[in-house]
Amino acid sequence: MRSTTKNPLLKVVILGDGGVGKSCLMNRFVSNQFDEHSFHTIGVEFLNKDLDIDGQTYTLQIWDTAGQERFKTLRTPFYRGSDICMLTYAIDDKTSFKNLELWRKEFTYYADLKENNQIPFLVVGNKSDVPREEREVSQLEMETWCNENGITSCIETSAKNASNVQEAFKMAVQHWLRLESRADKNETATNDTVDLSKKYGDNRMSCCVGGSEESSN
Amino acid sequence: MLQLKPMRTPFGRKLMNKDNRIWRLLKFSLGKYDSRIQQVDNGFFEKFGSLFREQAEMAQNKEQEEKQQVAKVAAEIAPKENEEDTEPQASISGSEGEDSETEKEDIKTEFIAAAFNIDELYTEILYVILHNVGCDVNIDVTQTALFSYAQDAFRIPNEKHRQLLEIAENKEDPELIINVEVIEAKELRPKDSNGMSDPFVTLYLASNTSHRYNTSVKSMTLNPVWEEHFALPINDKSIDDTLCLEVWDFDPAETVKEKLGKFFDVKGVKGMRKLVKEIAVTATTGQHDNELIGRAKIPLNTIPASGMTMWYTLDKKNKLTRQGVLKVRVSFSSGKNNQVAAQEHRHMRRIILLHELEMSQVSPYWWCGNFSPQGDQLLTQHIAQSGLSPTEVALCSYSVYAGIHQKHPLSFNLFSKLLEKLIKPLQTELVMEEDMNLLWDATRKLLPSCFSAIRKIRKKTTNEKTILKQVMEVLKILNFVIELNPTNIDLLPSHLYPWISYREDGPNCDIRGALNDAITQGASDWFNYIVENNKETESTALSKLETLTRLIQLIRSDLQKAVEYFDKLFIELVHFQYAKCLYTFYQAKIATICEPEVREICKNLKTLQYTGFSFGANTKNSDPATDPLAEGTSLFNLYLTIQRFVTLGQGICPVDYNTFHIRNFHQWFQVGVAQWLNIAVYKALQRIEKAVELDQLVPIDNTVKYSSSAVDTLTIFYQVNTFWQQLNWPDVESCYTFIAKIIDDICRCCVFYAEKMGSKIEGVGVVENVYEKKFEVTNEWCLAINNIDYVRETLQPFAQDLGMEAVLKNILDLKSPVEAERCRDTLNVVISNAIDTIQNKIVEFLETVVKKMTPSMKRLLIEGAELFEQDTNSVDRLMMYMDQNLETLHRELNDENFNRTLELIWETLSKILDEIIQANLENRRPPSFFSNLQKTLTLMLGVYKNPDDCSSCAPLKNTERILKIHGLETSDLIHEVHLELANQFDQLHESPYGEISLRCKFDEDILKIEVINARDLAVMDSNGTSDSFVRIHLLPEHKFSNIDKPKTKTHHKTIFPLYDESFSLNLTSEQRQQKNGLILFSVKDKDMMGYNNQYIGEAYVKFSDIPSTNGSLSNLPQIKKLLGRPTSLDMSTIKALEHRQGDKQAKEFLKKFKQRLVS
Repeated sequence: MRSTTKNPLLKVVILGDGGVGKSCLMNRFVSNQFDEHSFHTIGVEFLNKDLDIDGQTYTLQIWDTAGQERFKTLRTPFYRGSDICMLTYAIDDKTSFKNLELWRKEFTYYADLKENNQIPFLVVGNKSDVPREEREVSQLEMETWCNENGITSCIETSAKNASNVQEAFKMAVQHWLRLESRADKNETATNDTVDLSKKYGDNRMSCCVGGSEESSN
Repeated sequence: MLQLKPMRTPFGRKLMNKDNRIWRLLKFSLGKYDSRIQQVDNGFFEKFGSLFREQAEMAQNKEQEEKQQVAKVAAEIAPKENEEDTEPQASISGSEGEDSETEKEDIKTEFIAAAFNIDELYTEILYVILHNVGCDVNIDVTQTALFSYAQDAFRIPNEKHRQLLEIAENKEDPELIINVEVIEAKELRPKDSNGMSDPFVTLYLASNTSHRYNTSVKSMTLNPVWEEHFALPINDKSIDDTLCLEVWDFDPAETVKEKLGKFFDVKGVKGMRKLVKEIAVTATTGQHDNELIGRAKIPLNTIPASGMTMWYTLDKKNKLTRQGVLKVRVSFSSGKNNQVAAQEHRHMRRIILLHELEMSQVSPYWWCGNFSPQGDQLLTQHIAQSGLSPTEVALCSYSVYAGIHQKHPLSFNLFSKLLEKLIKPLQTELVMEEDMNLLWDATRKLLPSCFSAIRKIRKKTTNEKTILKQVMEVLKILNFVIELNPTNIDLLPSHLYPWISYREDGPNCDIRGALNDAITQGASDWFNYIVENNKETESTALSKLETLTRLIQLIRSDLQKAVEYFDKLFIELVHFQYAKCLYTFYQAKIATICEPEVREICKNLKTLQYTGFSFGANTKNSDPATDPLAEGTSLFNLYLTIQRFVTLGQGICPVDYNTFHIRNFHQWFQVGVAQWLNIAVYKALQRIEKAVELDQLVPIDNTVKYSSSAVDTLTIFYQVNTFWQQLNWPDVESCYTFIAKIIDDICRCCVFYAEKMGSKIEGVGVVENVYEKKFEVTNEWCLAINNIDYVRETLQPFAQDLGMEAVLKNILDLKSPVEAERCRDTLNVVISNAIDTIQNKIVEFLETVVKKMTPSMKRLLIEGAELFEQDTNSVDRLMMYMDQNLETLHRELNDENFNRTLELIWETLSKILDEIIQANLENRRPPSFFSNLQKTLTLMLGVYKNPDDCSSCAPLKNTERILKIHGLETSDLIHEVHLELANQFDQLHESPYGEISLRCKFDEDILKIEVINARDLAVMDSNGTSDSFVRIHLLPEHKFSNIDKPKTKTHHKTIFPLYDESFSLNLTSEQRQQKNGLILFSVKDKDMMGYNNQYIGEAYVKFSDIPSTNGSLSNLPQIKKLLGRPTSLDMSTIKALEHRQGDKQAKEFLKKFKQRLVS
């Protein structure tokens, strides 16, 4: 009668150019299925999936979005309130990789993020199953880009042969957990110290200003 | 002792009205919706136009209102328009001005030309006055009056007048002719044997009987039709003469037969006339057998100047009976040259009309053909004396009026009537080219004002009826012109009509084309005008949007007026689709103006910040300038306005609609929709907060168990739904996504509602007095829970109401079944997630309730346990507390939530008890404390719990058992250990310690025991054998303290000892009846020294298993028992004993027990 468990809910949004395999990634993760000829997503798709991490079960509410430009106005309303954003590209498609920047901006704009409120981004390079000669983005390029953009988590996956798919989502949640605990710490830390230091800082400021004036005199 | 208090509320009564028709119910309860909630945002949803306009009547009211509003706006504009009117008119009158310039020239020259013969014309007038004819000469208008009128009209000085009058008097009398048309006769008397007649008519003037005229003979008829014309000169200057008409029957005598035979030889018309004349002569000279049928006489002085058509009765001398009737038209005419007369008449008419207009100061467009009596008489007399036909007169009038119309507009009705008169003769008769030219010339002069009237159809100066009438007349005129089928005539010279789009070479006479252009031009002028007069006050997006909305509303009202008033007229009179023409024009204009603006504004929409939900502070903020939502709201308003405009278009032009650009207007707004959804949620949240704030937490009526905020919240959802319905978004894919978003948002609203409800209820139910502070479950709490549940139940129907199925169906049709299925899955997951989330919220709520009850429960339990024996009140108090709260919950909650609460209570109870046990063991409470607790628990379970429903029994059962154990006295507790071991060993299937065979029986109160043997005893000694004996204990020990504990002899060095010993123990009957009595057989290994016997194993026999018989023991079957040993200290009983540290008995037992343990 009572709902089974009240797992922590995490809202995950998957973004990226059309055709990089967002829906495939989600379907592989949720139902362990892969369809070579899947359709374009209409606007958004939504699935639930429970994920165990260190004995705690998290319910991921995954919003898979349509990558085509014409769907832009349809997907952006769903960004708000996300806990995790997966930026996806295909390793055999350089453009999709270059567009990550745009996706990140779009997400940041429409998710209406507060300054301190950091959303864990996870960069996912899908289609790692393609033959070596078809690869257009190297792992190093991905890591470099992530470093430049302050994103700490990235992974290459293949929805087709199921490699690293579970890991990717797990990684995202762990990243979220890290940010979450850090945020908690920050909160308590700010309550205790920031106010004081601010006060001190102000004092010191006026002190210094006064001092310099004096010395200039 | 404690009184068991029966539960007052029986279980199983269904209290909650779990009606699935909530959604429908809601629609009835909408009336209860608190208007204060809509004040939160100044009626945001309500403002979205037609919110509750599902009821048609309300819709109509609103329409009416809107129309009035637009009318008001129009009225505001109207006076301005008039002032401004000079502007657009200037452009027209510019051309008109030029035109009238040339026209003036014309008039001047005409006047100059007329000046040469104005005297002549005046003389003619005087002459006419002198020779008035006809019976209708108005005797009230004296000749003198006519003279003076004419003098005024022609502006003739007195001297000249006398001079000219003299000339007129000396002029010869006019040569008058009487025109007779013999039309037909009816009901003639038959004169022939065959009952018929062969009638013909003879006519002559009484003054000249010899000059006769005959019609042709119509054979074999009593209703002949002749339609023959005759002109009889009136020689006599007076009009005392009489016209005689005689109808004769032509006799078919032989001579006539011959003549009739000749009939067919006659060639040509002349010959025929001769023949007829001959016959007539025969008839008049009497040398014939013709017979007179009847005669009619018409005195000439009964004939009006304007002529007449009459039926005359035929009579015959000496005969009173009617001989039949004859229809004749008679009129006067002169021998004057027709064209001269017509021209004369035109001049005269012009001068008289100009004079009359000057005298009467009649307003423009008002004069409709009525002259003063004098003027009328002058003109009528001139017509009669000049012998002008009605067609000629109409043409003259038309020409003259059109000329004057240019300077002084006359009534359109006048022209339409004239054209009506002219149309048939012009179409059927041979008309002189000169006359046609006259007609086209006049028409050319008339048309500009017609088209101008069409262009200024929106003028607000005159009342609607007048405009309607005017338009009708104009359209009639245009239709006549079209019917006259002008070809190759430059009716619409391009310099007069700069706005005509006619692009062909050659003269333009395309009236329809011009009409289309006039309408478009009029619409365009008006459109430009309203654009000019509705300029946005600021260059903000908000101001722009409001301006556009206003514009479209104005245009829409114009279209509606067009449909209501004008469209029918245009279609009926000129087969022209007026509204469609207008709509086509407007839609293009609106699209051109709106699209770029809307796209731009949408592009720059700011995202809405509403993460904080801190409305409380600024709910009063309704200033649109600072309202962050205003832009989105106005945008939506514009959307709705265009939507309605488009809907109107579908009605007006169902065929062309698909080619209109405006059809896809929603695409301009695409970017804005997300914003609207956000605004809707934001507003909904705001309203929910207000609804919770206003909620008094009392049921809205006696039949339901929820309070106002639940209904309000549902209403808000309903409003969101209405908002969605109004949006009526045409694109399928987006529709699906938006629905997903709305459901997600509604879920958010539900959660928000639950949270707000939670914080509202937080402090309720705490009762504090000098003795205690406790929480009581109140109706408010239950209502709060019910409210959330009520809201939850509507989620599913809400999703359906959003039109989910229709959208999925569309996706199925548009895309594929697979995709439709995936979309359905997504929506279902979103919905079930939402429902789950709310469900969890409800559980959270119930948990809170139970949690709040916990401290009181705990305190009362402890008090009860401490004072159980001395004071039953404390247990009573606990029972009362539980009773009260559970009763409230049961009464107010639905079964589902109540049962859920009960479970939570049991769960909590077992937790509380565990805590109490733990805490009080450490405090070394006496066993009575625990046994009291156990009694209380048993009592509660008995009262409140359905024994069949045991879904959460396990922890409680366990708690109860633990309480029971801790409540036992130490000796009883020790016995409990043995009982547990006895049961445990009965389950053994094999034993490393061996097996013992026994026989037992009761003989009355004597217990007889035979220890027979043992097998496979554990090896205890180094030689591979054991030295075993068996000791017998009766348990519980303290009950059998007076009884020996006999033992067998020791059997050395064997693991198969044969004891073969019998014991007889005399018990008291009380001991014999000992419940749970046990015999314990301990098998030990005898130590050499006898001090340190080793324990081999033990077996139990229960008193209850021992037969009671006076028969021989040896006849009983052997009892074989596998030997066992306790395996661990991890037994609740042992643990309980361990807690009794100050208890010697417990301590000793434990010490011995440890020896018995498996090492």
